Amino acid sequence: MTPGNQQDIFISTIEAHKGILYKIVNTYCKDEEDRKDLSQEIVIKLWKSFESFDPRFRYSTWMYKIALNVAISHYRKEKRRKNISSPYPESIFNLSDTPVESQTEIHGSFLSRFISQLKELDKALMLLYLEEKSHKEIAEILGITETNVATRIGRIKVVLKQKFSQTIT
Amino acid sequence: MEETNFILLWKEQYEKIDQSLVINKRLLKESISQKAESQLQSLIRSKAIGAVIAVLYLVLLGIVLSYAILNYSPTAIYFIMSIGSIFLINVKALHDYIKHLVWANNIDYNGDVVAIQQKLTRLQLSIANHIRVMFLQLPFWTTFYLSSEWFPAEMGWRYIVFQIFLTGSFAYLAYFLFRNLTLANLNKKWVRSLLSGAGGKKVMKALAFYQEIESFKAG
Repeated sequence: MTPGNQQDIFISTIEAHKGILYKIVNTYCKDEEDRKDLSQEIVIKLWKSFESFDPRFRYSTWMYKIALNVAISHYRKEKRRKNISSPYPESIFNLSDTPVESQTEIHGSFLSRFISQLKELDKALMLLYLEEKSHKEIAEILGITETNVATRIGRIKVVLKQKFSQTIT
Repeated sequence: MEETNFILLWKEQYEKIDQSLVINKRLLKESISQKAESQLQSLIRSKAIGAVIAVLYLVLLGIVLSYAILNYSPTAIYFIMSIGSIFLINVKALHDYIKHLVWANNIDYNGDVVAIQQKLTRLQLSIANHIRVMFLQLPFWTTFYLSSEWFPAEMGWRYIVFQIFLTGSFAYLAYFLFRNLTLANLNKKWVRSLLSGAGGKKVMKALAFYQEIESFKAG
């Protein structure tokens, strides 16, 4: 495979899974500048790891592992990331239009807010749960047992329900 | 709220976004090109400045030590032993620092999240170990200037007592700090204050995160 060819395959892979990356960046960063930096850092880490990608695994699993690891490390590397922040004023991921906010979308934004308030690892867990990953896959990505996955999801859902009822009433 | 509603809400919220999400391919290409890579390299270089300064310091100590050994005189035994010990302690600290720097930059993020985060956090916490090793050189800074030509034979008992007290105090202080500057003692204010100059806040944050990982694993 030529380097140019590999770059094209990489770009198509990112294109096909852009939603995953956008959601992770969105969940872990509130600030727009931070999001730009984090997107870029994730993409660089993915590219570095792309050559050694094992085709026996799914692209999405590989992407979740790297993107979540980079995003979780983000808060401990804040200073470092500022130093390497991109000179580009644009972002890798852009929305072509601004979605209109319906009632459901407002509730959706509450959900995003509550998720972003969770602890770093719980955020990752809930993100995978909301993306309808099986407990087995979540356990594989996070490196914990399936029983632990189920227990923690149950607990976090109780907290989320409480937050919703407090906010909406 | 019904159980499935969270998933439904999430889906609905991102459905439109998924449709309107566009990738800036030019920026993506530039990010993965050599340009982005060199930005990361410059960061690594900036982190390595500390290591370079330490290497220069070691070279200086090495030159002084070599000169003393090559022109050996029994009167310089205190100097050779003291500077030799300071040199070895600094070599050990530098070796650990470089080892961790290399390790940090070679971590493969394509691993399960808990294991990788634990690895990264342990790495951050290792800063405490570098500092405690460095303190071990303290007593040798109180002996390097002594010469067997005049110490102890030509000194009065008052000076000998003072020297023993000085070196003994520094040795005890070094031992005390080495024993106590551990992660287990990070709950103590003086330990945190001492580490603050070397990124103590980060250490505390890393420790809190380490505890979070442990509790996450436990379920």
